[in-house]
Amino acid sequence: MTATQSLLVVLLAPLASAAVIAFFCRRFGKLASYISVATAALIFAATIAALRTAGGEAVTMSWNWLSFGDFNVAMGFLFDGVAATMLTMVAFVGFLIHVFSLGYMSEDKARARFFGGLSIFMFSMLGIVLADNLIMIFVFWELVGFSSYMLIGHYLETEEAKAASKKAFIVNRIGDLGFLVGIVYAYWHFGTTNLSEMQGIVAANSELISAGIAMLLACGFIGKSAQFPLHVWLPDAMAGPTPVSALIHAATMVAAGVYFLIRITFLFPVDVLNMIAVLGTAVAVYAGFCAYGQNDIKKILAYSTLSQLGYMAAAFGLGYPGVALFHLITHAFFKALLFLGAGSVIHGCHHEQDIFKMGGLLKKMPITAITFFIGVLALCGVYGLSGFYSKDGILIAAGLGNTPLFVLLTAGAFLTAGYMGRLFWVAFLGEAKSESASHAHESPLTMVVPLIILAVLSVAGGWTGFWPEQLGELIRADLDHLHHAEGYKAMHKNVLIFGSAAWLVGLLASFFFYGKGAREDKLDKVAPPVYGFLKERLWFDEIYNFYVAKIQQRLADLLGFLDVFLIKGVVVRGSAGLVGLVGMCSRALHVGNIHGYVYWFLAGLILLWAVAVGLIG
Amino acid sequence: MTVGLNAFILIASLLFAIGMLGVLLRKNTLVIYMSLELMLNAVNLALVAFSRYNGTMDGNLFVFFIITVAAAEVAVGLAIIVALFRRRQTVMVDQLNALSR
Repeated sequence: MTATQSLLVVLLAPLASAAVIAFFCRRFGKLASYISVATAALIFAATIAALRTAGGEAVTMSWNWLSFGDFNVAMGFLFDGVAATMLTMVAFVGFLIHVFSLGYMSEDKARARFFGGLSIFMFSMLGIVLADNLIMIFVFWELVGFSSYMLIGHYLETEEAKAASKKAFIVNRIGDLGFLVGIVYAYWHFGTTNLSEMQGIVAANSELISAGIAMLLACGFIGKSAQFPLHVWLPDAMAGPTPVSALIHAATMVAAGVYFLIRITFLFPVDVLNMIAVLGTAVAVYAGFCAYGQNDIKKILAYSTLSQLGYMAAAFGLGYPGVALFHLITHAFFKALLFLGAGSVIHGCHHEQDIFKMGGLLKKMPITAITFFIGVLALCGVYGLSGFYSKDGILIAAGLGNTPLFVLLTAGAFLTAGYMGRLFWVAFLGEAKSESASHAHESPLTMVVPLIILAVLSVAGGWTGFWPEQLGELIRADLDHLHHAEGYKAMHKNVLIFGSAAWLVGLLASFFFYGKGAREDKLDKVAPPVYGFLKERLWFDEIYNFYVAKIQQRLADLLGFLDVFLIKGVVVRGSAGLVGLVGMCSRALHVGNIHGYVYWFLAGLILLWAVAVGLIG
Repeated sequence: MTVGLNAFILIASLLFAIGMLGVLLRKNTLVIYMSLELMLNAVNLALVAFSRYNGTMDGNLFVFFIITVAAAEVAVGLAIIVALFRRRQTVMVDQLNALSR
């Protein structure tokens, strides 16, 4: 097996699995789930094989997929350090979540559809990771969008899931429009969409870097990674099954936006990078605020994901893509852990998702609770856990590059600890606050084992020294770069102090506020306007609804009127009507009256004669 | 007193006008047909007269062609009229207006 063959197995195995499930296992949910999990295991094994055979070398291959004249669309792999790191993470976390799904979805009626969807998703996600050109990335980009749509809408008998899946798909479409235009623009500009070739061109003449291309391609990232202003779909996407939230809406797909940015770092001029840094920071803080207003355990985590994606975008914008990738990887570990923990809780509480109806789960579900707590600590960036290293890297980068961003990001870290503390104290401590929570039970092995493995990774995932040689090349390089930056030592101290203070204060404050087994959010009593403000997510959805309903509707009405009146009325009906009118008139002549015909014939003859002899004309 | 060209053209015009009125005013297909032939022969007459007057053979040639074509046309046209009559039991054009129904 060469590395290329292993990569082909990685890419095509889930497609085959999805096909088999779709065509032959529609009625056999159990069989379908086993096929899908086995495929996930095979993907992981093939990934390891590819890593071993590649031996740290970049593997590339490509073949022509479409040819129009002298325009060729290639399909190909670019398996470099970044792709290897991402692929390993996706394959491993994906495998764990597949195993978790075995337990979580065991009661589900449409298991085959769910696991088929997971396989399709794996195929599309791996395609993005391995793709070596923009067009191929776009194809798989749309495919993950489709899988996301399909899996969010898995509980298709509920209105909420239907609306959420449509929302996710349509909002992403807006970003993808920019992405597509960016691809066309890039092809026109560089004459190629191949990543390595573009990198070569840009390296040779840096004046070719175009802000327009970078911004258009970043639109794709804004949609997929749910950055402002296209962030509204991600919280709603929690209507899907929890493993989907963990896999797609925390660990892989939403991170694919950041991954894509890292792949095309060389296309970004400094001012666009700054914009992305500001945008990411704003989202990090905004989502942190929103998370306070949520009572649904998954929605809190969704806002947390938004916030962490903001951190990644900030790291990228500050010029450290490696640090962004680092945070992406560690975030995938602990956020997948948190989501799966939430899934385990929801499973144990008979599909209760309101944290104020839980409580006392620490005793009833000890393993879930402890692993969840590890996830919380990792997310808060407690010293020594995985989140600490990556978040510290981001904070240091901000501190060295841009003080206001540093302040905001540190505030974001404080908010993170606050809402995660609120979630944990309310849901796991105190007394059971509802019937379903008092009958909670620990989840089965298939769900607990992935939790434990992910907890270990959440603790140790950030120790880059222990990573295999082939992985994390860019991460190490960028961290080194950071370590040798001007003023690193002092800043490192600052970040240690501020960062640790942030999570400590956040956790403690939330404990004092919520730790006594709160039955409802006290903030509602203390400051109702603030709470309402947070609960309604700062009214973004309302603003969008207003915009769509009022402004866009007016525009659409106008265009509709123009369409009906001008296009339909004048152009289409008009031309047809003219011909019809002539037909109406001439129909009156053709009634079978031979004499009439002869009259007209003669009249025409006389006319022609008159013209010929020059009486007329 | 010799008969001049004008007399022939006058006769031809009269014949043609008579034929044309026949075509326009009569309802019987066979009569319309005969009127058509009358118009053709009026033209033939004119052509022969011109030919004689000019001392060339062109007009005569034309007449032969016209007679030939008219004969062929009569063969076809009469066959159609016979077929029509068999089908509709009439040769009156005002009753043969299937389009108006």
